[in-house]
Amino acid sequence: MTGFALISFLEEHFDAYASGFWVTVRLVAVSFAIAMAVGTFMAALRVAPVVWLQRLGAVYVETFRNVPLLVLLFISFAGLRRAGVDINAWVAGTASLGLYTGAYVAEALRSGVFSVGKGQIEASLSLGLTYRETLRHVVLPQAFRTVISPLGSLTIAMIKNSAIIGVSLLALGDLLKQARIVSSRTFQTDEAFFWAAVGYLLLTVAATLLVRGLERRFAIRR
Amino acid sequence: MSYLFDPGNWEWLITGNNARFILEGFLINLEIAVIAMVFALVVGLALALLRLSRNPVVSFVAGIWVDVFRNLPLIFLILYMALALPISWRDAWEENVPGWAPEAYRSGFVFAALVALVLYNSAVIAEIMRAGILSLPRGQSEAARALGLSYRQSMRHVILPQGLRRMVPATVSQLITLNKDTTLVSIIAITEVMRRGRIVTSSNFFAAVEAPVLHVFVFIGLLFVLVNYALSRLSRRLEVGQRRRVGTEMKEVKGVEDQLLSAEPA
Repeated sequence: MTGFALISFLEEHFDAYASGFWVTVRLVAVSFAIAMAVGTFMAALRVAPVVWLQRLGAVYVETFRNVPLLVLLFISFAGLRRAGVDINAWVAGTASLGLYTGAYVAEALRSGVFSVGKGQIEASLSLGLTYRETLRHVVLPQAFRTVISPLGSLTIAMIKNSAIIGVSLLALGDLLKQARIVSSRTFQTDEAFFWAAVGYLLLTVAATLLVRGLERRFAIRR
Repeated sequence: MSYLFDPGNWEWLITGNNARFILEGFLINLEIAVIAMVFALVVGLALALLRLSRNPVVSFVAGIWVDVFRNLPLIFLILYMALALPISWRDAWEENVPGWAPEAYRSGFVFAALVALVLYNSAVIAEIMRAGILSLPRGQSEAARALGLSYRQSMRHVILPQGLRRMVPATVSQLITLNKDTTLVSIIAITEVMRRGRIVTSSNFFAAVEAPVLHVFVFIGLLFVLVNYALSRLSRRLEVGQRRRVGTEMKEVKGVEDQLLSAEPA
């Protein structure tokens, strides 16, 4: 397996890899949006001043964080279909990954909120700001900074987890799926998987660099 | 909702040996997770030490190795190992599995799955260990060296005992992730809990009682939630105790989803 053979292998199957790469990118992007929305909502529940709302948020987080993503995919696709719900692969896949990661996002945001000193919250409440205003003007801007890095970690985990969607029962042609198709057609397993690995590493490295850039941009200069 | 809670749809659980069949499969998942974790800890420690090596070539190569394997999807590694490991290796496994091992372990793919799980998790563990060691104040290693201990001695008697103790909570967290990840080995035809779930839903041994897919996998999901929740309580307790003792937090490791986040306001 020389470098030249590898490159001509990629040239030959470039279309398959490109379409798989694009599907993976879209899967991650949509799931990320869902995870952020769900995560923000659940984090808000967990820091709400009402006890039963906090409990509700906690149950969500503990359930979706501790269940394997593959189980969620089985429930949301095969399970719901058998139950008569007409759900398509894209919805089931992105919803599973989004809801799963949403639990982690909620935890990250919550710990970000708690990283803002209690004294600051008490001070702003005693200055007459409402709960809402305190959250919006005092807590969230500061929490955002501490949250960049854990959210970056979750995005990387999400890129890796997106491979599970394509591989399990759903008929989505993501990067890994395309690599498997190419591999079964050519019997060149090493070459086929090599280029999928390159694709995933490109995505995770890009995410790492992006997070590092954001961290630097929002760091407090002392 | 009424579909989900209809007792008729749960009847499969008490019929025949369905529940037992699935629980046994779940046990296989836990066993695979523990076995993989033991090996990942050993390999991970070696990788962490190589990465911290004073020889720049060694630490560079170890760094690349760790970064590549923890940034690839685990499912990718599992599939690749299942396809690419020499068949003779798998045969060697099949011949050497002890007779008392459950039937699911007879398949040579178990070996491929374990190789993939250890490759991925050792890279993650190595990063956790490195963070634990680097989180020690510099004074510790400087004092050890000033007292005349060699690099080896200071590692062995001063740095590692403290650094490794700091990574216990993060390791338990990683065990939770690993526990969930073991479901992925069902894709290469190992009859652990997911496969067994599919067997239960597809076979009609008890024609009168149907096992709906939704209910079977909700049940399996609950098993995971139960065990992993217990583990996460454990790791949280360990972390709080840890922080009370040493007063510092673990450094964060990038790309790990089950990161222990400081949940309790200090």
